[in-house]
Amino acid sequence: MELNSEADEDTKKEQEQKEEEKEKQHFHVLAVDDSNIDRKLLERLLTVSSYQVTCVDSGDKALEYLGLLDIQESEISRTSSISSCSSSSSKSSEKEVSKVNLIMTDYSMPGITGYDLLKRVKRSSWKDVPVVVMSSENIPSRITMCLEGGAEEFLLKPVKLADMRKLHSHLLNTTNIHDTIIDSDHNNNTNKRKASSPEDSDRRTRIQELPVS
Amino acid sequence: MERNHLQRRAAYMRETLFDQGYLDEQFIQLEDLQDDANPNFVEEVVKLFYTDSARFIRNIELALDNSTHHDFEKLDDIMHQFKGSSSSIGAEKVKRECTQFQEYCKAGNLEGCKRTFQQVKQENATLKRKLESYFQLKRQAS
Repeated sequence: MELNSEADEDTKKEQEQKEEEKEKQHFHVLAVDDSNIDRKLLERLLTVSSYQVTCVDSGDKALEYLGLLDIQESEISRTSSISSCSSSSSKSSEKEVSKVNLIMTDYSMPGITGYDLLKRVKRSSWKDVPVVVMSSENIPSRITMCLEGGAEEFLLKPVKLADMRKLHSHLLNTTNIHDTIIDSDHNNNTNKRKASSPEDSDRRTRIQELPVS
Repeated sequence: MERNHLQRRAAYMRETLFDQGYLDEQFIQLEDLQDDANPNFVEEVVKLFYTDSARFIRNIELALDNSTHHDFEKLDDIMHQFKGSSSSIGAEKVKRECTQFQEYCKAGNLEGCKRTFQQVKQENATLKRKLESYFQLKRQAS
C-alpha cells in the first residue's frame, strides 16, 4: 500500500542517517588555526557534525601532535602544551596519537603556514590523511597551489555547516569503505576516488570549481 | 505576558541589527550552532571577539603611534586578523572598515589609516553595545 511504502522509506532514511552518524563518530579531525574564535567555531561545527575534534593553535603544534617534529623542534615545543578544545579523551601531549582521519588547517598562520603544514604532512607517514586548507582570502593562485600541493579541498572562511558535508566524502574515501561514491547532493563534477597521490591528474578537475574573477 | 513582550522586543532588536547592516548571514550560522546543550554558544563567541578586538585595537594603536617608522605591513597583518574575526561572527560594518583600513595600508596612506581606524573603533564599540543589550534582553525574556 502507498502508506506502508512511505513509512518504509522513512525508516530506511533514518537507518541510513544513523549509520552515517555512527561512521562519523569514528572520525577524528585535527583542526589547526591560530584564531581562537575560528578554533571555537570549527570545534563546534565539527562536533555538531558528529566528528571528534582536536584543536591546536599552530602548525608547529600540529606537527608535534602528529609526531613529525624533529628533536630540536620538540625541545622548543615542550614548554607549551597542546591547547584548547578537544572532544577526545586524549588530553596528554605525550600520548601517541592513534589516528587522525582529517586535518583542517588555516592557511595564514604565524610560524609555519597551512601550506607548509600540508607539504610536511604529505611527505610523512600521514600522507594519506586528507588535508583541507581554509582561508579568508579568495586568491585563485593560492587555491591552485594548495590543491596541487595535495590538499583535498580548499574552503573559504568563514567555514559553514554546509562545508562540513563536503568533508564526509573525503573521509569515506580514505577508509575505502566505498570504492566510488555517487553523491546525489552534488550536481557538479566533484571527483570522488580512493586516496591517491597528490600528482593524480584527477586533481585538475577541481580547478573548475575555482571562482573566476 | 511580560515575557512575551520582552521576547518580541528581543526579536525586533535582532531583526534591526540585520536590517541596518550591523550583522550578516554569518551570525545566523552561529545561531544555528546553538542548541539546548550549548545555549550560550553565540554569546561565548561574541565575548571572545571582544577580547580579541580589544587586543587588535591596542596593537594597532601602538603601531600607529610610532612616529618614527610606520610598518604598513604589520598594520595590514594585524587588521587582517581583526577582519577575520569580525567576519567569523558576522560583524559586517566592522569588517567593512577593516577592509578599508587594509586598502590604505596597501597604498601607504597613513592619514587614511588613522581616519579609518577611528571608524573601526567606532563600529566595534557600537556593535558591542547593541549586542550586549540584545543578549541582556534575551536573558530577561527567558
